[in-house]
Amino acid sequence: MSEKIYALLLRLFPSRFRESYGEDALQLFRDRARDEKGFFPSLRLWLDLLYDLAISVPREYVYARPALVGAFAGQRMDGSPTFFLLENESPRPGALLFGGVLSLAVVGAFSLAMTYVGNYAGAGIKVSGQLQVSSRFHQKQALQPKAEDESGATHRPAEKDVNLDAAERRRVIDGAVVNLKEHYVYPDVAQKMADALVAHEKRGDDDAPMDGGTFAALLTRQMREVSPDRHLALVYSDTPLPQHATGPTPEDLAHYREAMKAENCTFEKVEMLAGNIGYLKLNSFPDVSVCGQTATAAMASLNQADAMIFDLRGNGGGEPEMVALMASYLFDHPEYWYNPRENTTQHSWTRSPVPGNRLADKPVYVLTSARTFSGGEQFCYDLKMLKRATLVGETTGGAAHSGVFHRIDDHFGMGIPETKPINPFGKPDWAETGVDPDIKVKAADALETAKKLAESKLRKK
Amino acid sequence: MPKRKLDPLPSAAFQILLSLAGEDLHGYAIMRQVAEQTDGRMRLGPGTLYSSIQTLLEENFIEEVDAREDEKLSHERRRYYRLTSAGRKVARSEAERLADLLRPARTKKILRGDYV
Repeated sequence: MSEKIYALLLRLFPSRFRESYGEDALQLFRDRARDEKGFFPSLRLWLDLLYDLAISVPREYVYARPALVGAFAGQRMDGSPTFFLLENESPRPGALLFGGVLSLAVVGAFSLAMTYVGNYAGAGIKVSGQLQVSSRFHQKQALQPKAEDESGATHRPAEKDVNLDAAERRRVIDGAVVNLKEHYVYPDVAQKMADALVAHEKRGDDDAPMDGGTFAALLTRQMREVSPDRHLALVYSDTPLPQHATGPTPEDLAHYREAMKAENCTFEKVEMLAGNIGYLKLNSFPDVSVCGQTATAAMASLNQADAMIFDLRGNGGGEPEMVALMASYLFDHPEYWYNPRENTTQHSWTRSPVPGNRLADKPVYVLTSARTFSGGEQFCYDLKMLKRATLVGETTGGAAHSGVFHRIDDHFGMGIPETKPINPFGKPDWAETGVDPDIKVKAADALETAKKLAESKLRKK
Repeated sequence: MPKRKLDPLPSAAFQILLSLAGEDLHGYAIMRQVAEQTDGRMRLGPGTLYSSIQTLLEENFIEEVDAREDEKLSHERRRYYRLTSAGRKVARSEAERLADLLRPARTKKILRGDYV
């Protein structure tokens, strides 16, 4: 008992002192308590201790020296973050106030950012702009709504900052559980994730007021705590998700063909630059059945180039088939072409060699930006991993979109991986992290940099 | 912030240095040794003891030697401390300084006896 009291009193000392000598001080107390039994010795012991506290506690604070406060807080381990304690004494009131204000600002910014990310992911799954129809292609039958609550689907207001009610949460969690069990590629993990979602809900972890984006991010986190799968995500969309998407209608296809024709299949520029460097600015990877000929023609016109620059700075993604087709020109033998969206099959190889193609051994530069997404990133990632291209520019957007999308209600849906592709590179793909360039420059400067690199490489030859 | 200085040497630090002059001791043994050599007048509390030890360690006047158990006490590992040559030197000069202080007192016959 008395030891506990003294242990409490020891807390009056600065933490630095406690860390170094707290245990020794307690040991000394035990020794004295053991040797000084009886009323008067005990009384003297406590008087000594109180006197000692009165003298030494203020002194320890006065003499606390910042230079010696720095210390390892944890043993350094390879690959894990290391923290240093800089100051563990009571901070000045001014510092506390500043810290408080800063924390509030950061928490505010974080919740805003979470909302933004949630909405963004939702928008991303629909894929931007002119490729809206194309995106349906690679979702195939994926947009079939599952676990849908028809009655509940309508009374969710569209305002993004409205807090979710309990019924909505419940519906989203139930929908997530059903979808996980039904579709996730690893059934045992799906069960554990479903259990975790339910357990979190029961514990009241989801009860704080929050908007849709935050809630989606929270559930995503809870699932990934079970298994860190970056292709699995629960997303929130401000705009209502389409009820039934059963693939493109003939009208959609006609519209898509027209749009692609008008935009030259998003092959924005196909040029030979000075120094015989081929330059291709490609803003998506369109459907091969519509744009295969355009692609072939573009590559044929660049066939005599001594080096190639693929400009994917504005590439929002598209069809994996087109990505593989474009890559086929860069190899003289079939190369395994990793695609996180599809199981590994005999089609997972490039169609190399392409008859008549002369680009297979030419230096390749790929220009990237933070707006290079999805299929554009697949092109970057695979070529980088295969050491076939030098990436110049910025880290890409980090959208793998490999999960098949399942609608839960008007505003919530899930991307669920249903495939087990083999990633031969032994490294996580670009989902959420993006692909890092080999040469990091601003996107605006990437073309000039790549030109210089290509020229100097060709000069050396 | 002020740096804790050992100049002048606080009496607690001086007594700790003296207690270690004979043998390596752990904290509690230092405390008992100090109490003994001051006829029970100085009983170092844990705070004073360990903050002094910390300062003496930082100044390299004492050093920590391998922790071990004290057979006479409980089976707990204890940190032992040893006087360094710098510590011995500082204790000696402090003793001489105190002796110098006492010399006038002795000549003025204020001190009874001449044991200092």
